[in-house]
Amino acid sequence: MKKSEFLEALEDILQREEPCQENDILADYDEWDSLSKMAIMAYYDKNFKVKLSLNDFKSMNMVSDLIKLAGENISD
Amino acid sequence: MAKSKFQHVKITGLSVIVPKKEICIYDEAQYYDNNIKKIERMHKIVGFNKRHVVEEGITASDLCIKASELLFKEMNIDIDSIDALIYVVQRPDHSSPATAYYIHNKLNLPISCIAFDIRQGCPGWVYGLNVAHSMIESGAYKKILLLAGDTPSIGVDPSDRNVAPVFGDGGSATLLEYSDKINESFFNISVYSDGYEAIIKPASGFRLQLHYDERDKELLNPIEKKSGGTNRLVDLYMDGLAVFDFTMNHVPENICDLMKYANISNQKVDYLMLHQANKQIIQTLSSKLGFSDEKAPWKSFEELGNQSITSIPVAIAYNISNELHNKQMKLLCSGFGNGLAVASALLNFNNVYCSGIKFYEAHKGYLSRQEYIEHWKEKIGNK
Repeated sequence: MKKSEFLEALEDILQREEPCQENDILADYDEWDSLSKMAIMAYYDKNFKVKLSLNDFKSMNMVSDLIKLAGENISD
Repeated sequence: MAKSKFQHVKITGLSVIVPKKEICIYDEAQYYDNNIKKIERMHKIVGFNKRHVVEEGITASDLCIKASELLFKEMNIDIDSIDALIYVVQRPDHSSPATAYYIHNKLNLPISCIAFDIRQGCPGWVYGLNVAHSMIESGAYKKILLLAGDTPSIGVDPSDRNVAPVFGDGGSATLLEYSDKINESFFNISVYSDGYEAIIKPASGFRLQLHYDERDKELLNPIEKKSGGTNRLVDLYMDGLAVFDFTMNHVPENICDLMKYANISNQKVDYLMLHQANKQIIQTLSSKLGFSDEKAPWKSFEELGNQSITSIPVAIAYNISNELHNKQMKLLCSGFGNGLAVASALLNFNNVYCSGIKFYEAHKGYLSRQEYIEHWKEKIGNK
């Protein structure tokens, strides 16, 4: 999946009105709540076969950190 | 892992009762800063929409008594033929005696019919089925009435948006009988007790006993949460993310093991009936397990809520009751949650009687809260 496609998907996962950017800080999003985290865990598991754990969210600041966790599933 | 197989037990009937009172998340805008977009977001992501909840004074046993009366009448059952009543519950009417005795009395069951409670949460219906199957297969019991009911809406603070929109109430009655002909069913139950604090009411029993005086202050004081809102020790505490983590990892594992044990493929399963935790969880689990949306229904969550112990019977009655008559189908059922535990079963539904979802109306001999208080005042006063 291309990065741009993922950013669009992320907008939908979070049910955000505005586009997501790689350098956005996740905590700045109003939608960054436990519901979103669960939706992301479900999305990664289903689409990338990547199992995120709760600890992954603790060290996560930016959208780019989220992209890193998808590994090779997301390309430039 | 606890796997078991049975050959001489069949489910013959299922009835389900939910309360009439409906609450819709779109009528609760005050909890979402009057922002309809926030509500739509919840609806879209997790399926929060409507839930049916009891009026004050109605307990899970009332719903189950009504479900039993309905089943007895519609299936024309001779109550003297019932050997055992099992009541799966986590909110009993009283801590002593077992609520099963109260139900036994209200249903006029014979003295030869044993009665006991099983204390379980969301995995409870499948747990109860497993116990009932073992009792019948042993030859000791021929006909068992398994009641599974819960009222998780009671005592929930409506402003607690993690919990309040999730839960609806419901009661069910399942009739199991001995079968001369071979009728196979398979179970797999896994227990992850390191997560026992993930869904808990800390002060709800004798560990943190209520004294009904100033000693209770600490149990009743709201504790501020970092994420916002408060929780008291007497309230239900749920670590949503931890439960989600557990569900995504251990539920598919348990179900896959069961399918291997039963030597069955996805194609041979007619429906995957998952505990109606929420829409997102059901959709993610079913897709991980390779089942289509049509085979793993979640609509009853959106329309009636998550009834915890009762959610699988509700899902069956809501989605497929008209397909059950004169048909044979394989249902893969899985209940998961507090314990933490996963209880799954592959059941052969062969012409099971089920008349769909019915709404609660007071059963014979029902006493309202005030009538029950008066009943006890009179009883104690006359001593």
